[in-house]
Amino acid sequence: MRLAFILGEIGSGLRRNLSMVVSVILVTFVSLTFVGAAGMLQLQINQMKGYWYDKVQVAIFLCSDGSTAAGCAGGPVTPEQQESIKTLLQSPAVAQYINDFQFESKDEAYKHFKDQFSNSPIVDSVTPDQLPASFRINMKDPQKYQIISETFSSQPGVETVIDQRQLLERLFSAMNAASLVAVSIAGVMIVCAILLIATTIRLSAFSRRRETGIMRLVGASKTVIQLPFILEGVIAAVIGAALASGTLWAVAHFFLGEYLSKQYPDTAFISPGQTLILAPALLILGGSLAGLSSLLTLRRYLRV
Amino acid sequence: MIRFENVTKVYDQNVRPALDDVSLEIDRGEFAFLVGASGSGKSTFLRLVLKEDRATSGAVYVAGQNVAKISSWRVPRLRRGIGVVFQDFRLLPQKNVFANVAFAMQVIGKSRSVIRDTVPEVLKTVGLEGKEHRMPHELSGGEQQRVAIARAVVNRPGILLADEPTGNLDPTTSMGIMGVLDKINQNGTTVVMATHDDDIVNEMRKRVVELKNGVVIRDEAKALYTSMIPIVGQSRRLKDASGREDPPPSPEDQGLHPGEEQR
Ligand SMILES: Nc1ncnc2c1ncn2[C@@H]1O[C@H](COP(=O)(O)OP(=O)(O)OP(=O)(O)O)[C@@H](O)[C@H]1O
Ligand SMILES: [Mg+2]
Repeated sequence: MRLAFILGEIGSGLRRNLSMVVSVILVTFVSLTFVGAAGMLQLQINQMKGYWYDKVQVAIFLCSDGSTAAGCAGGPVTPEQQESIKTLLQSPAVAQYINDFQFESKDEAYKHFKDQFSNSPIVDSVTPDQLPASFRINMKDPQKYQIISETFSSQPGVETVIDQRQLLERLFSAMNAASLVAVSIAGVMIVCAILLIATTIRLSAFSRRRETGIMRLVGASKTVIQLPFILEGVIAAVIGAALASGTLWAVAHFFLGEYLSKQYPDTAFISPGQTLILAPALLILGGSLAGLSSLLTLRRYLRV
Repeated sequence: MIRFENVTKVYDQNVRPALDDVSLEIDRGEFAFLVGASGSGKSTFLRLVLKEDRATSGAVYVAGQNVAKISSWRVPRLRRGIGVVFQDFRLLPQKNVFANVAFAMQVIGKSRSVIRDTVPEVLKTVGLEGKEHRMPHELSGGEQQRVAIARAVVNRPGILLADEPTGNLDPTTSMGIMGVLDKINQNGTTVVMATHDDDIVNEMRKRVVELKNGVVIRDEAKALYTSMIPIVGQSRRLKDASGREDPPPSPEDQGLHPGEEQR
């Protein structure tokens, strides 16, 4: 009975304040979309880091069947060449610069590739022997990349030496800056949302002061009096958060999935499914912000 | 049922207390009138019983409980034991008679079937059978006040407080309302009614507590609106002691009913 009563009160409150409720929905929608965009950028950065990014800095790719580099004129790398590269890596001259190194075979390369590009159609067209084997090196001092590059580039069987981290770092710092901007905009918008929710609740409490006054006199509990107002704000904010989650999903599905991944087939993009990880966070964030700001407003404007 | 022990209520440090060292006991099942000029502290008395305000000093007991000791989350329970009626009825304009009375039961979680059984019964007690589906604007003032009384007593409170319930009604209608209040009192509810209406008080011949400038100057059983005992000299002395004239009755005083501003 009390539940039905509270639900009825919420319904009438939402109807009575429709335009304010719509603006709360829109403002939370926009602000949480920015929060979510920042989250998506971080997910994307993680996706692009792939398997090796946090473990090593420099990769020595070995010649394989299709290699066209000058060093690969002699065809794919032979076991002897591979062994001599390994010996060189272990020699004191080189070993002083590196912490350790690992060998990634073609099959391992294929496995890591599949993980990283799981969302991309490119996976189906690649086979293990198209991917080069490599030595992955963890540097003592990443700045000393030049030394490794000079030492190994000319070795027979080496296709190329790449400072992977440096390649990606520039891109990542741009993406981090973008997510910082998104978070700042989101911050301003969230302040707007909180103030707007407070105003809406205040208006709502004012327009229903007769009811709440009578409720107080006949001994309704604080919960019964306040809950409809709080839920009114929370429901509006949660609708906004749901819209934001939907928008993020749509961006991942249509923009990243259908458009960008065709433009840049060699980049690993996040899947629409991954953006749904953000949805619960956005819903909780929206709901709790609204709940908190309604609660504080009611403390001032609704005597119980 | 209601006991005041040396209760003083000061709203504003610079003004004389609204209630000044009031000690008073109203027994279970009693019917008492609170009379006195505007600003004498009648509404303040009722507010203190409801714990709408707290006494500056002294203690207020309701049903044996010191209201100052009731924690805020238990105040609703105190109020469930007290019905309140005002001069301005305070009905919800968009709800019909039945819904207005049912509202008081819904918000404290009474089941639909209990509401369906109780509301018509109470409406019958206040003389409104057959008018369940009328809207408040389709009722006369007297009928609206009956709805308000029905709402106040539908949860069977032990106490009914009425703050000038006949203030907006003509003498005949007022007597009808008094009949309803008397009936509720006969059923065992303690009734405290603040009023300016001398005809009613004289007609009812109940206990009369007279306040002047926040002080109880008369407390008589089966009394009249004005005392048979001359008290002119006494009130003159009180006035001199406080050094102030009675505030003239003004429309603003109507705004001082419990909690009206805050809502
Ligand atoms: N909320 C308040 N804040 C400040 N002063 C108040 C407040 N409520 C009442 N007072 C003062 O307390 C005094 C007593 O007021 P109260 O309302 O109790 O009088 P009353 O006897 O009910 O008058 P009336 O017959 O006009 O309703 C008055 O002087 C009034 O100005
Ligand atoms: Mg009054």
